Amino acid sequence: MESIKFKTNINCGNCIKSVTPHLNDLDDVDFWKVDTDNPDKVLEVTFDDEANEEEVIKAVEKAGFNIEKI
Amino acid sequence: MEETIKNIKTSVTGMTCAACANSLETFLSELDGVDSVKINYADQSANISFRKDLISEDVLNDAASKIGYGLILGTAQKQVEQTEYIEEERLNTLKKKLIIALTLTTPIFVISMILNNSIAYANEISLVLSIPVLFYSGNEFFINAYKRIRHGQMNMDTLVALSTGIAFLYSLFNTVYPEFLISRGLEPHVYFESAVVIISLILLGRYLEERAKSKTSSSIKNLIKLQPSVVTIFRNGEETEVPVEEVITGDLVIIKPGGRIPVDGKIKKGETYVDESMITGEPIPVFKTKKDQVFTGTINGNGTLRVLATGVGNDTLLSQIIEMVRNAQAEKPKVQKIADKIASVFVPVVILIAIFSAAIWYFVGPQPELTHAVSVLVTVLIIACPCALGLATPTALMAGIGNGAEQGILIRNADSLESLQKSNILVLDKTGTITEGKPRLKEIIWAGNVPEEDKVYYKNVFLSIEKESEHPLGKAIISGFLKDLKNPEVFEIENSQNVPGKGMVADCKGSKYVIGNLKMMDDHDAFTNDPIIKAKHIEYERRAGTKVYMAKGQEVLCFAVIEDMVKPGVKETIKQLRKEGIEAEMLTGDNEVTAKAVAREVGIEHYKANLLPSDKGKTIKELQSRNFKVAMAGDGINDAEALALADTGIAMGTGTDIAIDSAGIILMKGDLSKVLQAVKLSRNASKTIKQNLFWAFIYNIIAIPIAAGVLYPFTGWLLSPMIAGAAMAFSSVSVVLNSLFLRNKR
Repeated sequence: MESIKFKTNINCGNCIKSVTPHLNDLDDVDFWKVDTDNPDKVLEVTFDDEANEEEVIKAVEKAGFNIEKI
Repeated sequence: MEETIKNIKTSVTGMTCAACANSLETFLSELDGVDSVKINYADQSANISFRKDLISEDVLNDAASKIGYGLILGTAQKQVEQTEYIEEERLNTLKKKLIIALTLTTPIFVISMILNNSIAYANEISLVLSIPVLFYSGNEFFINAYKRIRHGQMNMDTLVALSTGIAFLYSLFNTVYPEFLISRGLEPHVYFESAVVIISLILLGRYLEERAKSKTSSSIKNLIKLQPSVVTIFRNGEETEVPVEEVITGDLVIIKPGGRIPVDGKIKKGETYVDESMITGEPIPVFKTKKDQVFTGTINGNGTLRVLATGVGNDTLLSQIIEMVRNAQAEKPKVQKIADKIASVFVPVVILIAIFSAAIWYFVGPQPELTHAVSVLVTVLIIACPCALGLATPTALMAGIGNGAEQGILIRNADSLESLQKSNILVLDKTGTITEGKPRLKEIIWAGNVPEEDKVYYKNVFLSIEKESEHPLGKAIISGFLKDLKNPEVFEIENSQNVPGKGMVADCKGSKYVIGNLKMMDDHDAFTNDPIIKAKHIEYERRAGTKVYMAKGQEVLCFAVIEDMVKPGVKETIKQLRKEGIEAEMLTGDNEVTAKAVAREVGIEHYKANLLPSDKGKTIKELQSRNFKVAMAGDGINDAEALALADTGIAMGTGTDIAIDSAGIILMKGDLSKVLQAVKLSRNASKTIKQNLFWAFIYNIIAIPIAAGVLYPFTGWLLSPMIAGAAMAFSSVSVVLNSLFLRNKR
């Protein structure tokens, strides 16, 4: 179990909806959440075992959002 | 053109920001025929008004999907309601027409047959009363006859329209201008009562038949009911409940124990036993864990699941089955009714006879030749149509349906009763149709070194441990032992541990026991060198059934065989059917070994195993293309398409609603041997229909020569209304009586 935080531009409920399929599709992601109240729009991802930040960045970028590791 | 403008309000999918709304709005409003578009981003909806004659909802949706959005048009549920509404309207209209016809026919009949047209203005009153009967209640006969004749075809409607139309016109002429015939020495008869009685009785028949018919759409409604309406999803780290329409591909759906699975998807988290019997027909729940596929409509067992939705809405396997059933029902060709077949030959023959008789009267008849000739032409055509024609089929069907109901055979539509007797192949589903569809403990195979006196003790241990089990087969084992053991004892079990998909370990009275499949035995290093177990094990590899082993410590004591048993009497039924010229073929989604074992047990020579639901439908089509008349018996959702496609669908009353609704015949208790009675009933009913048609036509056929003037030299009659009336009464009574005989025939 490992967690990583990212800074994104995932703004609103609908942005979350569009990023949902991409993040849910990642096999070893256990849990994720975007804090849209935070000005940095922090995405927190918890993994089943080892963290794989590359995978998350790829998925979020594919969904059309900016992302960088904090 | 005010009424061609249509306004719709729909939900829009796929919009993620205000710019999307703008882009969709601009895109749609530029389409031909679109009047105005308002997209509301906040509630994700669209208000579109467009010209119905230029563009349709589907075109709009296609256009929207080109740029990545979707319009949620009428849901399947709404479409079903729509078709049901139309059907109900049809039946109501028919009822209204029938009531008007019967109410007006009664006085016309009384005036003519009882009062003998002796009251003042008898003809005028009959004329006025018969107009609505012919041209409102009976309008469809004329419309259909006209449509057919344009294609050079004739059927029952042609006969009815021809006879009643001519009877009416002839009577109208004689009412308005009776002097014409009187001055030529002929009596101006009117035949209003013939015309209206024919129409009334045939409408009555049609109404009865229509009412006995099943509603094709209800099966689809039942399938839709399998989709839960509210779904719990996990979005942005929180559980939320949303309507099922809002779930998108890629959502994580949470499924609680015992819940129905609302989407097609892949398990992301959790493990469980899923009851997939409605899709596959197999009764034993399947163990599923991470990365396994689950399907909409199946039932989750005891685990909580997080499922990644891969198919939602119209993309689920269930929706595809709905679509297949719908197509199958729409594609199914209508059986040409035997009455129509007869009429298509009878009508031209009658017309020829009429013309021929008229010609004889014209060339060799007495004065006035032309009047006589026309009069004969008309009366032959009038008398030809039997009133009881409309009653022949429906009364036989209703009697047959009543007869079936007493034997536990529910017949839901006329076509099935007619088509079953023609079958030469009966396709059977395995699970739930040939077999009981419930796993049962068949026997216990003991190792040779287990002493006889210990067996009861071990059975009790087995029973006690299974009571702690979560495995779906556990129930079958428990009820098997409870029946088998005279005094079942439940021992205290300690440290019981379920290993999903494999079995369980538990301590009982100080010893450790392992129960489960071979993998479970391996995991616990349990083994056996016992020759009996080994031999039996090999033997059972080739037979149907599941083996559950029990080991004490590391030594295998026994294995239980759990099997979905064949229903009693199936073998005999299949043999009898073969004698009647109907060969059985088995289709199953189950594996080759089980299929072969079951087929051999019941004496079926042809079978196919490992089939997907759509394969069953394909097999039916293939058989039909080889000119077989196919009856299909089944009970599961996976059989629904095949049941709808087959010439005759027979569902087990114990099966799923959708199978029941796709079939025309239902065996109420799921007793397959009733198929034999159903076939006999179908044969009897079809015989009765033919006899009825004979009785309907025979009096009229006898009356045709009289109408043609055969009796004229002796009596001076052409056609008296008396003869028309007698033919009418005799044929109707004969038909009804003959149908009543079928009621009690076994």
